[in-house]
Amino acid sequence: MLEANRHPNITIMSLAEIKEITGYIGNFEVKVQKNPRYVYEETCTGCGQCTDVCPIYIPNYFDENFSARKCIDIAFAQAVPAIYDLDKEWCVECYACVDSCDVHCIDLSQEPEIVELEVGTIIIATGWDLYQGDEYGYGKYENVVTQIQLERILSPNGPTLGHLKRPSDGKRPKNILFINCVGSRNEEHPWCSNVCCLLSVKNSKLIKSEYPDANIVVSYIDMRCAGKMYEEYYKRSREAGIMYINGKVGKLIEDPKTKNLVASMESIGTGGIVEFEADLVVLSSASLPSAGTDEIAQVLKLEKSPSGFLKEFHPRLDPIETKSPGIYICGSCQGQKAIDATVNHARGAAQAASIPMNKGEFVIELIRADPIDERCAKCYMCIETCPYSAISVNEAGQIEVDLISCRGCGMCAATCPSIAIELRYYRDYQFNAVIDSLFEA
Amino acid sequence: MAGTIRAQYPISIRPILVPCAGRVGSELVMRTIGRGADGVLIVG
Repeated sequence: MLEANRHPNITIMSLAEIKEITGYIGNFEVKVQKNPRYVYEETCTGCGQCTDVCPIYIPNYFDENFSARKCIDIAFAQAVPAIYDLDKEWCVECYACVDSCDVHCIDLSQEPEIVELEVGTIIIATGWDLYQGDEYGYGKYENVVTQIQLERILSPNGPTLGHLKRPSDGKRPKNILFINCVGSRNEEHPWCSNVCCLLSVKNSKLIKSEYPDANIVVSYIDMRCAGKMYEEYYKRSREAGIMYINGKVGKLIEDPKTKNLVASMESIGTGGIVEFEADLVVLSSASLPSAGTDEIAQVLKLEKSPSGFLKEFHPRLDPIETKSPGIYICGSCQGQKAIDATVNHARGAAQAASIPMNKGEFVIELIRADPIDERCAKCYMCIETCPYSAISVNEAGQIEVDLISCRGCGMCAATCPSIAIELRYYRDYQFNAVIDSLFEA
Repeated sequence: MAGTIRAQYPISIRPILVPCAGRVGSELVMRTIGRGADGVLIVG
């Protein structure tokens, strides 16, 4: 991230939203709204004096709200750009930070500003969000955490400085239960989240190697450890003494005194009901499309898969391009991916975008929709039908086809009641001639 | 598709190439049936 920020050809705009995109491959015009951070990026030296004087403590989003941060603070230790930001929602406007800043870079009156950019290609990498449903008492029972929260607890710069402590009383949990497939592979979210099996293997193995007396149970439906060296990793974790039980936890009840959690699950391997009293329960929650995916899809006129992730041009043969030329997707915005697949996808997207950029020209086929104004009754049904939003009305009220956005599917030609829009080389009279000659004999 | 999997199909089938199944509208189907076809199979 730091390297990208230092690169002369890369500009990172944090706290920004895409508001509008017009144009086509090679000539996109993008309007970006830069939301105020109330700190001038150019002059902030990152000295941290403002954080020292700020009297307001707020939940630390980066630590999954397990710790506190100041209202004006750096997002997290490795944040890029390493500039402080102020959370206006919690700020009491005491101006202590403004007074403390030696370089006068804090300005509480900053407004969102619109930046206009001209770009040739666009790569979308908006990632994913974690499912926050209330299965297994998540949000109600203190000692039920998600994998991401456990990651923060185990992190050396996390809220507990890497020491495994459970949220309710800060004691080290001895019996730990991992539950896989929470909120995924069901009716609502039918997809497999891809990474959680290995996340369970990794975190359970990490805890076991640090605390060999820990008693760890992983409850799973299927262990999906496909990929190079992953199955071996899983096998080694079994050998390390972590118990894997094939069966989904049916019931999880909290003991109100000890805050321990009693789980009952059916073990398919051995038969019968297994009961396990856990000090800490870790949920492998489903991964969902990130919160802004709907807006991105709307602004860029992209399609979404039934799961809500962005839709690629072809799920197997072209998972990088989208139906709009010049717009590429990479990483988990297309579907949940592990790190290796994300790196591959990102490199692929960068390569795919650099090809037309370096060539400087983009070749389109001639099979494109061809409007015929004399026949057009201006019903505009073609505009609604076009899946690529390539058809528009010009100032004179005539139908216009954007030849670059058009992909030559011919849906407009099939819809038009007065044959006023046709597909080049696949015109009605050409089809009629084919049909007539086929049935002549 | 039938060709790529080497499937046998009756010689009475007349394939008509279209760029996309979306191009096939009711007019083409009706004309085909009007010219004597027993049925139209839109395969995408």
